[in-house]
Amino acid sequence: MTKLTKRLGPTATALALCIGLVLSAQASAADLEAGKKIAFDRSKGNCLTCHHIEGGTLPGNIGPPLVAMKSRFPDKAKLRAQIWDATAINPHSIMPPLGRHRILSEKEVDLVTDYIYSL
Amino acid sequence: MKKLITAFGLALLITGCNATTPEKPASMKAQYEVALKNAQAAVEKAAAVDGEWRDIRWKKSKKRYLPSAIKAAEAGDYKKALKLLEIATFQAEAGYKQAMEQKNAGPRF
Amino acid sequence: MKKILTLLLSAGLVATATQAVSSPKEDLEKFRMYYEQRFPGIQLDDFGNGPYALDASKRLQWESMEEFPPYEDYIDKGSEIWETPFKNGKSFASCFGKDPSKVRVKYPHWDKASSQVVTLEGDINKCLKDNGEKPFGWKKGKIAHLGAFLGYEARGQKINVVIPDDPKALEAYEEGKHFYYAKRGQLNLACADCHIQYPGHRVRGQLLSTGLGQTTHFPVFRAKWSKAAANSDGMGTLHRRYGGCNKQVRARPFKAQSRQYRNLEFFHTYMSNGLAINAPGYRE
Repeated sequence: MTKLTKRLGPTATALALCIGLVLSAQASAADLEAGKKIAFDRSKGNCLTCHHIEGGTLPGNIGPPLVAMKSRFPDKAKLRAQIWDATAINPHSIMPPLGRHRILSEKEVDLVTDYIYSL
Repeated sequence: MKKLITAFGLALLITGCNATTPEKPASMKAQYEVALKNAQAAVEKAAAVDGEWRDIRWKKSKKRYLPSAIKAAEAGDYKKALKLLEIATFQAEAGYKQAMEQKNAGPRF
Repeated sequence: MKKILTLLLSAGLVATATQAVSSPKEDLEKFRMYYEQRFPGIQLDDFGNGPYALDASKRLQWESMEEFPPYEDYIDKGSEIWETPFKNGKSFASCFGKDPSKVRVKYPHWDKASSQVVTLEGDINKCLKDNGEKPFGWKKGKIAHLGAFLGYEARGQKINVVIPDDPKALEAYEEGKHFYYAKRGQLNLACADCHIQYPGHRVRGQLLSTGLGQTTHFPVFRAKWSKAAANSDGMGTLHRRYGGCNKQVRARPFKAQSRQYRNLEFFHTYMSNGLAINAPGYRE
């Protein structure tokens, strides 16, 4: 998918995103699993360093436990924005700007958002 | 809908172009040389304000985007080299920007 | 144009900020008061025990470990290094004075002649060079062993860093202070983010220590280092730790004994003035 997007260029990416948006209203089980993997991976999301997530071992407690996310973030876009760059709202936030500093790719931020949103 | 069709058409067109006229190695090399200069300048700029990130060129980094790009280019893989340079440049610019934003950082409790 | 404007503007901001800067003494008072209020009941010296001051179960494990501390052999090795004469017949005592218990407390300090912060490690290697000996590596091995011995001999003495009223010394102090509070690296983390905002919290299984008391126990034996590589015996200097922290936040570490780290050590140690030296320490 990534390779394909590169070759098609930005226009096609936009198109793909449009289609993606329609399709991803409900993230697939495979996507959720992929998102979980990125979230738990120490060199990727590494969310467990600071957050408790059900099923994760040895979680830190710097950030709030990631539970009941839908009620905490009725707007999924806001959750994604928080993951992408928490310092936009609070410049002193300790949370690394996963998207802004490209710790994760845009696609990976999407997958992690879907997964966290499902918690 | 009309927009969507246009977009789709444009995408096809771009793919088509890519397929029929692959970039010549010579132009890739020229592109690489420009990108390398840009990346090096960006890295020096970040380093000058103590804002350099770990994986750009530090000897113990496993990624070392900048030297890896040069190595890839030496092996003739300009596509890979350009990709790595893009990352190195992004990181250098982000590190510089960060150092500027943090210029007045001080005690906060 | 916009860029130039921003540049001018930020230059202006820096200028105003410098004028309004707080004195080292005020910084120290606020720094200490913050921790004393956040962790009431913890004795000042106990902050030098890092996470073990903050968590009862970790403290128990640590106390039982301290009965046969893994750094003991290295204190002995350091003592040997201190005693062993150089090829010219002199020894470290010719540089530092005969009493090894009076060395550690002098560092770091501002050296007016060279206009820079001088560290214990810097003077150890200077002594070697001045006597025609090969200098030690900066981060581990002999330099840490000798540091462990000198720290052990000085246990109980109070940290007493002096920031002289000299614009250049204040500049060095300010640079170190800025380093502690500025976010850096791809993970965008400052020393202060963890050690001021979140001491006592856990990063995975590790308990974050307070910034207060962080330098008193260096050089340190770190279990993590003892497992790191065949040539690593677990002992390391403060600058080794700085480098490790910077690497973890994905910033390019500075060299041990670089100006940046020496100035950080200057500020960082000054913040613990009045706390007892408890080197060498043990950490996970």
